Amino acid sequence: MRLYRKEGNTIQILCFPNERVEKGDYLQVEDPKKEKALLIQVIDVQFANIPGIMEELLRDSTNNSDDINGRDLDPLDVASQITLIQDARLLLCKIRGTIQNGKLSVSSDWLPSRSKSITKKLPTQTLATLLKINEKMPIYVGETKEFSPLKVDVTALDGKLNIVTGKKGTGKSHFSKLLVLSLIDYGAPIVVLDLNGEYTHLGYTSNGKESEHYAKIHVLTPASNFKVMLSQIKLRVMINILIHALNLPGTSAQEFRRIWRFLREHTKLSLHELGEAIRNRQCNHHVKDALFSRYYTLINSGFFTDNPDDAITLEDCFEKIQTGGVLIINLRDTSFVDRQIVVEYLLGKLVEMLSCWKIKAVFLFAEEAHLYLRETYWNDIVTRMRHFGVFTTFVTNQPDTIRENIYRQADNIFLFNFTNEHDLETVSRAAKVDSETVKSIARDLPPQHCLLLGMAVKDFPIVVKVRALDVQTMGQTRLFFT
Amino acid sequence: MVNLLIEQYQYTTTPKYNFPHSIQDLQLPQQFIELSLRTLRNIKNGKLFQPYIPTQSENPTTPTLEETTLLFNRSTQPKLKPIPLKPIRDETPIIAVDVSSMKIGETEIGILCAIRAAIVWKQKQQYHYLRLGPFPFHITDENRNEVYHLFRQYSFLEQPTLDYTNTLSLIYAPTRLGSLLERWLQMDIAVQTRNSLILWDGSLTAGTQDFPVAVMSQLLETARSRFNTILAFTKNTRLRLLGHCLTDYIHKCTPPCLLEINGYPMALSNALRLLGNIYVAKLSEGNCSFRLDIDRKLPLEKAVEATGRLMGNDVLLQSYPETLRLAHIYSTFTANEVIGIQRFLARTHRLKIVTKPNVRKLLFGPFGKGPEN
Repeated sequence: MRLYRKEGNTIQILCFPNERVEKGDYLQVEDPKKEKALLIQVIDVQFANIPGIMEELLRDSTNNSDDINGRDLDPLDVASQITLIQDARLLLCKIRGTIQNGKLSVSSDWLPSRSKSITKKLPTQTLATLLKINEKMPIYVGETKEFSPLKVDVTALDGKLNIVTGKKGTGKSHFSKLLVLSLIDYGAPIVVLDLNGEYTHLGYTSNGKESEHYAKIHVLTPASNFKVMLSQIKLRVMINILIHALNLPGTSAQEFRRIWRFLREHTKLSLHELGEAIRNRQCNHHVKDALFSRYYTLINSGFFTDNPDDAITLEDCFEKIQTGGVLIINLRDTSFVDRQIVVEYLLGKLVEMLSCWKIKAVFLFAEEAHLYLRETYWNDIVTRMRHFGVFTTFVTNQPDTIRENIYRQADNIFLFNFTNEHDLETVSRAAKVDSETVKSIARDLPPQHCLLLGMAVKDFPIVVKVRALDVQTMGQTRLFFT
Repeated sequence: MVNLLIEQYQYTTTPKYNFPHSIQDLQLPQQFIELSLRTLRNIKNGKLFQPYIPTQSENPTTPTLEETTLLFNRSTQPKLKPIPLKPIRDETPIIAVDVSSMKIGETEIGILCAIRAAIVWKQKQQYHYLRLGPFPFHITDENRNEVYHLFRQYSFLEQPTLDYTNTLSLIYAPTRLGSLLERWLQMDIAVQTRNSLILWDGSLTAGTQDFPVAVMSQLLETARSRFNTILAFTKNTRLRLLGHCLTDYIHKCTPPCLLEINGYPMALSNALRLLGNIYVAKLSEGNCSFRLDIDRKLPLEKAVEATGRLMGNDVLLQSYPETLRLAHIYSTFTANEVIGIQRFLARTHRLKIVTKPNVRKLLFGPFGKGPEN
């Protein structure tokens, strides 16, 4: 491999086909005189622009036709070198840093010698060691291209905003499960908003047996084993549900507040008493109708109960996962409105518990959050709630459903394959790495391969083949023909 | 070490292919390959100076025969009558041969060049090719004698009459070696085929070191004796008749036709001999016409018939036969191939490729045009 040219922070390297280099690989361009090496990452592999290549190909194309056949007598095998030239590659690389005295820095204010420098591959494992990304609390995420295990530090997820994105079937949910199980192993409390019921069997191995994590995985299905009593709910949370999930107008909300306060003062907060209070309330009949319609929606959701035996408290649930565990909120068979009610309740309750230090922090995994998260919550989650201790990981196959400002604030992006230009464009706006890198590498990522971006890899993008998990998969699409 | 590397090369003679009839026995002269290997042994671990890569037209070649010495007598008024042609479709095999030579670089003691030949033949509506080479050579003052020896050995004469030693300069060595291989292949094809049309790139003018009269005569004789006809096409002729380029005379004629130029006295140097009748051929529609040399000992009818066969059995593009066009394409070196050969030499003989400063560019900057040498 030879250093060819540099333009901006892009380096071009010439290499021959027998030098196996792929997108995402790291190379070091060593300058023996300066005793340091420029660390670069391959973001695209092209054919080198060889003079006369057009003539070569045109001539060879006649060989393949039916009209002409023949062969070459080349006793010295000179042609093998010619073929090598024809297949010469041009590696487009981005400068990532400098290695000097065994230490890696992000500085790139120098240029190695073009004639004297030696370019060679830097194994990902070596890079990981240089970056010290796997020292404190390692998570085994998968294998590098050299088949060595890649581990990242779990603390890179602590207090951070993460995004897992990629097109359907590339392994996003699998990776999220891997993160969830790894976090459990380190004693972290986790809440998963499981839109499709993919995580409900996380406690089982692929052959249906209980896994080592079984006891730490708790599936809560709204209206089934996840019901709450009104007395557990703060007025603020209920008002949020009514306004944001059920679109209750302001005047009616004001009337509801009065009713709620009255019931609370008289310790009569129950579904039944709420219904009675609305019925007996002397107010504008439009307001009364509005309140009644929301009341029945609350009842029909099945999420609320007056029976203390049916109800659970999130405090109790969190008690179970305090030393590591996951609450999976199974939203699979829940309607759009009910989903919003549950999520409003859950997030309100989380903030409530976090603000009074009932829990220290929680990792929230939100699958396709745009389907249940209201507009204002997006910013809330990445700013206010983050400070309370809600560390969110968004999982989506529609990257444009996440706002650009969320991407910009994301600390880690775990990127799977995208082919759609629009999707790539959206993801590439993430500030953690240049858009060329994202677009070029993500486009060609095979299934189960992830481009790690952000703090987990100290802003040195690394491609990893996500390791397999021995868990029962539930996210597969139901098929008609098989 | 270098020698050992060279010894490891495995080379074989040309295997049998689907050549028409007896061409199947065509074999590359082993001495040619051995010479290539032997000359490469002289390469010591050193430098390969990257040459200024000339375009094909700038590649130094020995002066062509016709342009330097051949002039038609100006005193005679030409009376040229076009000979109309009719295509004859009879599945006559058509065989074309072409050779390319290219200077690859220089060493501290000599030059490196490469030779490649291509034989293309059309038989039963199917084109076939055999490409020979590239054969790299390292020609130095030391091994020149060995090269001369090969020239002598393959001049197809028992007692060569020409002395090469004083005339073969290193500059012309690639072209001369190319001519040697071309001549040998032409002879082999002439010997091994029957009832075929053999297409050459060039003319049938003989009398120089590379084109001895005796060799050329023997070639034509051999071809004739096996009922082969040699048609030699010159792509760019500068022959003039009464001040006009030969090919100008056919522009107004309706193709396909031939113009016979013979019969007009010509001024030739003592050594040069025209072994073919010279025609101007316009074999198809288009702007191009070519000088076509056909064996002088063939009667006009036979020459016309051979041309008709060519028209009937080969594709003609701008009056130029496809078989010969393909032979040229297959033998020509592209810039990419030159780089590949340089790399081959650098790797097998541990040469370091060094770009030689272009003196013209150094002295004259943007005004330094043309080849360095």
